[in-house]
Amino acid sequence: MSAAYVDLARAHAPLLMIMAPLIGAVLMLVTGTARVSWLVACAVAAAGAYVAMDFAAIVFGGYPQPIAEVGVSLFVDGVGVFAAALIAVAAAFVVSAVGASLKDAGDAASPLALSLMLCIAVGWIGALMARDLIAMIAAVETAWLASTGLVMLNSQRDRAALNGALRMLSWGGVGAAFMLVGAGLVARATGSFAIDVLPLAHIRMPNVAAAGAALIVIGLAVKGGVAPLHAWIAAALGRLGTTYALAIGALGVLGALSVLTRFSAYAIAAPEIGGSISAALAVLGSASVIIGSVQAVGARNLLRLTAYAGASQAGCVLLSVALGSPAGFAAALMQLVAFVAAALALYGGAAAGRVQSLEMLDGYGQRAPLASAAITVGALSLMGAPLTIGFLARWRLVEAGVGAGWWWAAGLVVIASLAGVFYGGRLVERMYFRRANIAYAGDGGVWRVALGPVLIVAIVAIAVGLAPSVLLNAAAKASLMLTGLAA
Amino acid sequence: MTPEIALFCVLGAPVLQALLVMLVPKPPGLRDLIHIGFSLFAAICAAYLVVAVYHHETAYIVLARPLPNVDLAFEIDPLGSMMAAVLTGLGVLHAVHAAGVARAKQERAPSRLLAFIALAMAGVTAVAFSANLFSLFVAYQALALAAFPLVAHRGDDEARPAARAFLATLLASSIGLFLPAMIWTYAISGTLDFRVGGVLAGRVDALTANVLLVLYVMGIAMAAIPPMHRWLPASSFGPFPALVTIQALAVLPAGGIGVLKVVTFVFGPGMAEAALAAQLLIVLVGVGMIVAALIALSKQDIRERLAYSCMAQSLAVVMGALLSLQPGQFAPAGLFAAALQIIALSCAAATLLMAAGTTAAITGRTKVSDYAGLGRVMPWTFAGFAIASASMIGMPPFAGAWAKLWLITAAAGSGLVWAAGLAAAAAILTFTHLGPLAASALAARAPTDAFKRPDGASILLAAPVILAAAATLSLLVSANALAEFLAPIWTGSAAP
Repeated sequence: MSAAYVDLARAHAPLLMIMAPLIGAVLMLVTGTARVSWLVACAVAAAGAYVAMDFAAIVFGGYPQPIAEVGVSLFVDGVGVFAAALIAVAAAFVVSAVGASLKDAGDAASPLALSLMLCIAVGWIGALMARDLIAMIAAVETAWLASTGLVMLNSQRDRAALNGALRMLSWGGVGAAFMLVGAGLVARATGSFAIDVLPLAHIRMPNVAAAGAALIVIGLAVKGGVAPLHAWIAAALGRLGTTYALAIGALGVLGALSVLTRFSAYAIAAPEIGGSISAALAVLGSASVIIGSVQAVGARNLLRLTAYAGASQAGCVLLSVALGSPAGFAAALMQLVAFVAAALALYGGAAAGRVQSLEMLDGYGQRAPLASAAITVGALSLMGAPLTIGFLARWRLVEAGVGAGWWWAAGLVVIASLAGVFYGGRLVERMYFRRANIAYAGDGGVWRVALGPVLIVAIVAIAVGLAPSVLLNAAAKASLMLTGLAA
Repeated sequence: MTPEIALFCVLGAPVLQALLVMLVPKPPGLRDLIHIGFSLFAAICAAYLVVAVYHHETAYIVLARPLPNVDLAFEIDPLGSMMAAVLTGLGVLHAVHAAGVARAKQERAPSRLLAFIALAMAGVTAVAFSANLFSLFVAYQALALAAFPLVAHRGDDEARPAARAFLATLLASSIGLFLPAMIWTYAISGTLDFRVGGVLAGRVDALTANVLLVLYVMGIAMAAIPPMHRWLPASSFGPFPALVTIQALAVLPAGGIGVLKVVTFVFGPGMAEAALAAQLLIVLVGVGMIVAALIALSKQDIRERLAYSCMAQSLAVVMGALLSLQPGQFAPAGLFAAALQIIALSCAAATLLMAAGTTAAITGRTKVSDYAGLGRVMPWTFAGFAIASASMIGMPPFAGAWAKLWLITAAAGSGLVWAAGLAAAAAILTFTHLGPLAASALAARAPTDAFKRPDGASILLAAPVILAAAATLSLLVSANALAEFLAPIWTGSAAP
């Protein structure tokens, strides 16, 4: 009997991935105290992550498991499954990591904050499972508004956060408008809002379709913090509580980049518009690598530095997708894993000691050795140090790029890594070779619960760098399953 | 013990050593015992590997497969095992000396200092035993990261910027130049494995070969090729035990070993396609040797003087390796000269830096002008200093003489007489900045206030200096055997 339920649950796993955190988000509003809310949120997020991982294992493990057609608007493909599993796991880490700092938001606001975090995950996972453009945009906006709400919630602690929320609203609104107009243009040119038909559709007006797809890409790039379209990110993250930065900077950006990857993969596969989208992604990706790297080198706030480094990483994602080959898509998925691992390690390590400015890192290695270790691993991954997931991801990009004759992409990867040496080295030097600033000496947070998930991420970043075959195989299969599993 | 186990031990023992030293900071006696004991164990394992290679045994271990078709792997070969044996052997002496200096100078955080010394030794042995370019790159980066805390050890306003410059130069050059070269090589050959005869042999045109050679040689900044040498003077801000590790036993030799391995196993001896870039680089390193020796002459601080002196010696390694790319029968001679020069550099530089460290610990003096007459009150230490100076200069019968003899032979035999001239000029300039210093220390009147420590130098500080100095005589009796031992890397059978 129970086996039948398990099979039923597995058949509807995509729906469960969305519904589990969504139900949890609603439950947050009635659970009352912060601690109970957190425990429920952890349970729900863990359940969602388990379902997503189980589903991914079935899909990429080659088991002959039938995947159900779910409703009218959900559509499951390889990139979606891979990225959804990544988001679900990241959400579980984020929710469990914020437990130790819940009181920062105030007891009354904590359940709402947790609810918004779960909504962010729901939105992005939903967008990854969307079959048509309108459903995708609706899901994206759900996630974006939840992110904005989280930043607004932080204004109880610091009024300056309102500025960040306002920026997010305005830039997010622009992005949404771009996406809606783009969806309309694509539908006009192809006769359908469906994403999965793009590669095979008879496109009557290629220029219109290309313009529409480019607008959708730009709209998603705004939300993914891709430079130079990331004007909201410094204001939003710079004054954000460190634990909330995990939800926006890691989970939110990961979601946007995942959806961008999925949509771009379909658009590039369309012969009439693929070249244009590829060129747009290549230009945007190159700009993001260069601008993000330069900004990260000059940043004096750890959260902003991480955000800018993320923009550089996002550029690598776009470059990988721009290649338009299965190898490129697989490289993009690896870049996403590398990004979220580094972001979780850096934001999480900072959250343990409530570190915001770089000065607060002085002597952090003595005050919070485990958090410092996590930050070090994150920095090493961002600089593409060998035996980290960051190196692996960049190597895959270089391999795919060189294979396609894009030698300049390898050059950009080198630029990103060189910049990583400078800003990553600066973090390490401050943590381990400077004396602690007396003003921050009390903010140790050495053994906070938050460190558990963060350290796991740091260990995973190294472990995957050492033995990446499972992840590489999953990414390779995901890139080949672009045409959809349910079709 | 099998060669695989010995190889694993020689790579892993220093890492375990570092962990234990950090975990057992007190009592200092136990900490020092662990440090010395593990160094000795690593040296024994390395010596065992030399014997194993001599008996044509093989060992290949894979630690991870981080990329498809690319392993993080290490294997024994004549070059790697010989270098590891020499460096870990000297490492035992250095371990004893570092323990002595840490006590005599009451260095801050001595456990951290000793731990990173051990990690740096792990890095250089990993470089020596690397089985492919990827493993070399990983070991190189790990060594840079392990050595960075040694430079920054004091944590003051001088050490921190110096450490930043150190790390930025080494990592930036490796990522900006070495990594692209590695990617390019992979794209051309489809493999990153080292092969006798060179993976690029017969696969590249002249333009590609020349560009790749420049990328590799400049990218391996640990060899201190100008203008990638800025990390070397920056490292002078570290404490003396750190200097010995960086300039004599780990970082600088790793640069030489790296260049030698790339030239031998990636390009292959006598690769005519890369001859143009090789000649231009020989000009660069030759002029660099002379300029470095001149700068050393201008430096009054013994740490800075020895840093530039070591740089000149390291460039001689690179010159030898580059000479091997010249077509003709003298290509193996260049490789042999480079290998000898690494051994000579390590022995002499370790002796000089340990002697300077002993002097600083006992007398508090670091200015060369204050060295006059110190040999009268510290005869053993300055006897070692004088012997090592003679070796650096290239005076027979010390190790440096044989290395330079082969270097000049390779240059002249390849038709590059001017290169031989540059090497000879650098040797003369080395004499000017080390010869009078050693002579003055031994011959001048003894200072009346020589000792900061009334009990003088302990045996921990004096014995390693004199034993390392004695090692510079080793090539007098072992050069021929060494040539036969190393022969397989360039010919497969015969000595040069």
